[in-house]
Amino acid sequence: MNCRDFTMHLDDWLDGLLDAAGQRSIQEHLGHCPACRRRHEHAVRVQAAVRELAPPAPHPGFVDQAIARATRMTVPGPRSKWRAVVGMSLAASLVLGVAVGAFLVVWSAPVQTVALRVEQPENVRVMFNSAMPLQAAMLHLALPENLELVGYRDQRELTWQTDLREGGNLLQLPVIARGMVKDDLVARLSHGGSTKTFRVKFEVESGRRSGM
Amino acid sequence: MAPVSPYRQARPAESNFEDLLRPQVDYLYRLAWRFTGSVSDAEDLVQDVLLKLFPRTKELLEIEMLRPWLARVLYRQYVDSVRRKSRSPIELVYDADGEDDPLDLLPGTREGPEEHAERSSLRERILEALERLNPEQRAVIAMHDVEGYSLEELETILETPLGTLKSRLHRARQRMRTLLPMEPFSGGQRVKQ
Repeated sequence: MNCRDFTMHLDDWLDGLLDAAGQRSIQEHLGHCPACRRRHEHAVRVQAAVRELAPPAPHPGFVDQAIARATRMTVPGPRSKWRAVVGMSLAASLVLGVAVGAFLVVWSAPVQTVALRVEQPENVRVMFNSAMPLQAAMLHLALPENLELVGYRDQRELTWQTDLREGGNLLQLPVIARGMVKDDLVARLSHGGSTKTFRVKFEVESGRRSGM
Repeated sequence: MAPVSPYRQARPAESNFEDLLRPQVDYLYRLAWRFTGSVSDAEDLVQDVLLKLFPRTKELLEIEMLRPWLARVLYRQYVDSVRRKSRSPIELVYDADGEDDPLDLLPGTREGPEEHAERSSLRERILEALERLNPEQRAVIAMHDVEGYSLEELETILETPLGTLKSRLHRARQRMRTLLPMEPFSGGQRVKQ
């Protein structure tokens, strides 16, 4: 066996697929070829490193929410029904003109952080940019404990269907923190059988600044 | 005597679905994360699979080897979502329009020293290397090298001929070895330049 043969058979050897003669041949080659010994060690270490890569935990409550959403949302209601869940004002705000404000949240990363003060309303604005008009996109919001959408005091979950226009679509969320907010606000945008999830973290200051 | 299913057809679909799928969600999430390398994308992928499966609850009740079957559904959904994403009209971007970047006003959006160190870690380098594989290569590495499915099992699960799987696995491993230098655990060059 030469180095080229060794490289060709390395994966079969790692997977235990070589017969006795093949294994002997490999071992003999390794006995006198330091370069292939290094290749072999490297291959084993890369494989082990990939195997040991532990996934981070999903977000808290993910399993419950995923099951609940699957069993609840597979029977799509008529569009007007979804809109009725939150009323027209939010649906309309999604397609209002683009504005840039201090709390414009842009999800270039899956999670962004917004600073709030307790009992002080703030507008969180979310920009969705669509390369083409999208009919009947579904937007679902899950609000964490102690965070309210102004005007929807007792609603933790809001779902509605809307059309996205081509270009910028601004979603304005007037929110108010009633206390410390530990969990994320979760927004899910679904269209054509695929979903994209975004999260906003809130850093809530408990006290008011002097002079305010 | 015919075997008695623990799941009664008469039960509400929601109950059957939850009994069957809840124990599998962690597994699906883990596999989805290995495919996508992202918590959010993995959660979205699992969510899409669950949404797709609920109307098929009756069919799920009849499946003997549920886990490999679910792995196949997840894989198909993953490949489909990658294809769809590549032509998806949705992207979420900041339209700064010449203004100062408002993200500068938000706390917690910049990479601190701790995050930077994390990105430089071996874990990050492996993730970056995996990210450079194509979806099919990532899937075969995840399912064979990590989850331990044999190539014969993957032939059924991925509905791909054995020879194709072998060469796909070989190329995926070769690429990983090339992307991770010979001494990947002692500094050396980063995968991303």
